[in-house]
Amino acid sequence: MKHLKAINNKARTLEQAVAQDRVEEVLAMNATVGCTSTVDPGWETDVFGGVTGLCQPMEADLYGCADPCWWPAQVPDLMSTHPDWNKGAADSSMDWRKLDTVFPTDK
Amino acid sequence: MFKKNNKMLVAGAVMTAVMTAPALADNAGRVLQSGQEYMVVTNYPNNLHVIDVATDEVYKSCDLPDQFGPGTAIVSPDKSRAYVLSNRYTTLYGIELDSCDMSFRAVLAQAPGELARSMYSFAVSADGKELYTVANPSQKNLDHYVVGDPRLQVYSTDAGLDAKPIRMFPAPRQSYLMQAADDGSLYLAADNIYRIDVQTGEREVAIGVRDWERKGYGQPDVLYLWPKQQVSRDFTILYAAPKFTDETEDMDTAEFMFGFYNINLETGEMETQDFAPVTEVYFTGARSPKDPSAMYAVLNRLTKYDIATQKLLASQELDHTYYVLAFNHAGDKLYLAGTFNDIGIHDPETLNKIGSITLPGGDMSTTTPQIFIR
Repeated sequence: MKHLKAINNKARTLEQAVAQDRVEEVLAMNATVGCTSTVDPGWETDVFGGVTGLCQPMEADLYGCADPCWWPAQVPDLMSTHPDWNKGAADSSMDWRKLDTVFPTDK
Repeated sequence: MFKKNNKMLVAGAVMTAVMTAPALADNAGRVLQSGQEYMVVTNYPNNLHVIDVATDEVYKSCDLPDQFGPGTAIVSPDKSRAYVLSNRYTTLYGIELDSCDMSFRAVLAQAPGELARSMYSFAVSADGKELYTVANPSQKNLDHYVVGDPRLQVYSTDAGLDAKPIRMFPAPRQSYLMQAADDGSLYLAADNIYRIDVQTGEREVAIGVRDWERKGYGQPDVLYLWPKQQVSRDFTILYAAPKFTDETEDMDTAEFMFGFYNINLETGEMETQDFAPVTEVYFTGARSPKDPSAMYAVLNRLTKYDIATQKLLASQELDHTYYVLAFNHAGDKLYLAGTFNDIGIHDPETLNKIGSITLPGGDMSTTTPQIFIR
């Protein structure tokens, strides 16, 4: 962990847990609802700070991120919260017009 | 039971008039031919396709029950059945490849009100008698979740449509891919890659990931969702890690390297091997069964590296992103799959595109194609 720096409260809490040898008690979000707790870049910018490493076109990555709740802030979570979001839109490259924005009240 | 019905056939025919994807055919009863090479792959909305690798055409299509996702499939050792994780990661199904009938079904939740999901984490034993999965349970209450401890659930593959675990053991968190070795042990990728005794649940670190102590390297990063059953019986997972230039271990001057962890399921031999500098992003990689000195990787481009020198041998621009690659047994065809509903076929020597397969239905998303000889 010596090369990582905590940048938010959750990460600082994790650092404390490591220091206290209690890391096994830290539960990643995917243990709860499938959603990732990763802070990797992925939708807005690639790992190099550019865009050429992003999936192309973005629809290619749409269900690959929605299925496992990989970027729950960017793509509706099909695993738990919005399982019917892509109903009737099996082919994202053709059916993307059928995909609506979701809001918490749409559950 | 899960054969395509007439209503769907009509709907499929209507769709064909306005879309390029081929219609679904009523071919669910086609029996696979002994000695023939096939690929199993799934896609939205609920399809399991068998592709004839000799002709690169869809041989038959089966319906999957319930909601799709992730649709990850593995093939039983006798090549008669595909096990599919679906219904939004909550259920494992066994589909008979000859008849499309469902012969196995295991809901991962074990208590009323429990939600349990497996993150691509399932494998069949080398003798085909047991199925392993890690379930991540949680209790969904009115105003809060209660997170449960992950469980390794062991099933008998002849347990039928209401399969219950015959053994359960504590499992590590962040469990993803697993594959079963010929010696009976189970290799599970989580925070580390563990070797698990499936009779006792005891586990030991086989390859350190979080706990790797590789001199001259920083912490590796691993993202791998594709439990590829390889011709070579290799269980391969890519990593990216900073390689330091000197003992000051300065991240600003470190070179990031792609590499692979590998466990040979036949011999138990383990490897941790760099193959390329990180100059672009790859999701999956594999060595050719024809030439194991070369490593292939894919995401937005298809590339080929010489492992010994870590030099780029060839690269190929792609029509769009593909998540996962797979070789046929001869190693003379390389298939690119995942994301949309087209599979790209490439020449492993030149990396030139030599064909494609358009699947009936929609996106493959994060599914894994599996190639086998019946």
